[in-house]
Amino acid sequence: MITPASTASLSRTGLGWYLYGVAAADEARAPLGARLPAGAAQQVELVAEGPLVGVASRVSLQEFDESALPERLRDGTWLEEKIRAHEQVLERVLEDASVVPCRFCTVYRSEVELRRFLSERREVLQAALDRVRGKVEVGVKAFIDRDRFAAAQAKQNDEIRQLETQVSTAEGGRAYLEGRRLEQRIAAELEGFRGEAADGLHTRLLAAAEDGLALPLQAPELSGREEEMVFNGAYLVTTDRVAFEEALASLGRDLRDDGVDLELTGPWPAYNFVPEELGAE
Amino acid sequence: MSSRELEGYRSGQPAQLADVLERVLDKGIVIAGDIQINLLDIELLTVKIRLLIASADKAREMGIDWWEGDAFLSKGNGQGELEQRLRKLEEAAGLPTAPKQESD
Repeated sequence: MITPASTASLSRTGLGWYLYGVAAADEARAPLGARLPAGAAQQVELVAEGPLVGVASRVSLQEFDESALPERLRDGTWLEEKIRAHEQVLERVLEDASVVPCRFCTVYRSEVELRRFLSERREVLQAALDRVRGKVEVGVKAFIDRDRFAAAQAKQNDEIRQLETQVSTAEGGRAYLEGRRLEQRIAAELEGFRGEAADGLHTRLLAAAEDGLALPLQAPELSGREEEMVFNGAYLVTTDRVAFEEALASLGRDLRDDGVDLELTGPWPAYNFVPEELGAE
Repeated sequence: MSSRELEGYRSGQPAQLADVLERVLDKGIVIAGDIQINLLDIELLTVKIRLLIASADKAREMGIDWWEGDAFLSKGNGQGELEQRLRKLEEAAGLPTAPKQESD
């Protein structure tokens, strides 16, 4: 944390600026209006500096003070509210303009510092903005339903069909053992299918997008779905998304019979397609 | 296509918290030198999310259920202790761990 000593003493009082993201001055429109979330209690303003605007709110520096922040970050309610507000403000801006999103909790102590950032980093911000102009990020998640996968396997795979017949005709202990064999066989098929399906999805979606990457898979506790996630990707696509959604629909129809369901999220600000770090220059 | 069924995919609305988290907390530009949030905290939160995404069961077993509150970021911990705890968690979750500084 690098802070000029002269401003550090002000940090416990007064207001600072929370920066959500950066947009082009000729695209972003103010006022952002009533559809902003309650979590963004302070009004969201567009701070113009040359060709760029910072999308920012005044926030209490006490609330975001370095010494108070670790405690706040452990408060799940506070964190979720702030994180959702961050996202919703950017989504609102995205309706009118391309936007370079900042990471959570980017806070300036004064408007002067915020403006200095916008003017000193103009070139690199402009370059980041050019890359996402006319584009949005979308997420694609794929889930597999084991029962439907097993049913599909029984149709396609003679060996599995035979095993199923044996299970249904066997009795007692033998039925149990045959059942186990069938389960193991299906699990082995699923193991191979999972990777192939993920690779195939990513390759075909990438071909319909400007760029893309695979994100870590989410466990059911996070994804909120019982089915196992087999793919989680983020893609940079043109704002109209037509070509991408056609590719996705076609993939969805191909994969549905194997028990795979696709889910599209977004449009998101292009979080995954902006430079991770704007170093001090 | 006229209906979602025929389109071959679902559109998830509203956004799941997990999808928001993996973007807002883990991606987007970081401005070195200007950002007020302590970078160590960001790193730890990011690691915690990765842990959860990689192995929610393991993380839960170990009592890390971070939006319900936990002591992972508790004050007064020396960095050495935090790192040790982090390494334990990474090992338990089967993630690659950072090399140890001291040889043993």
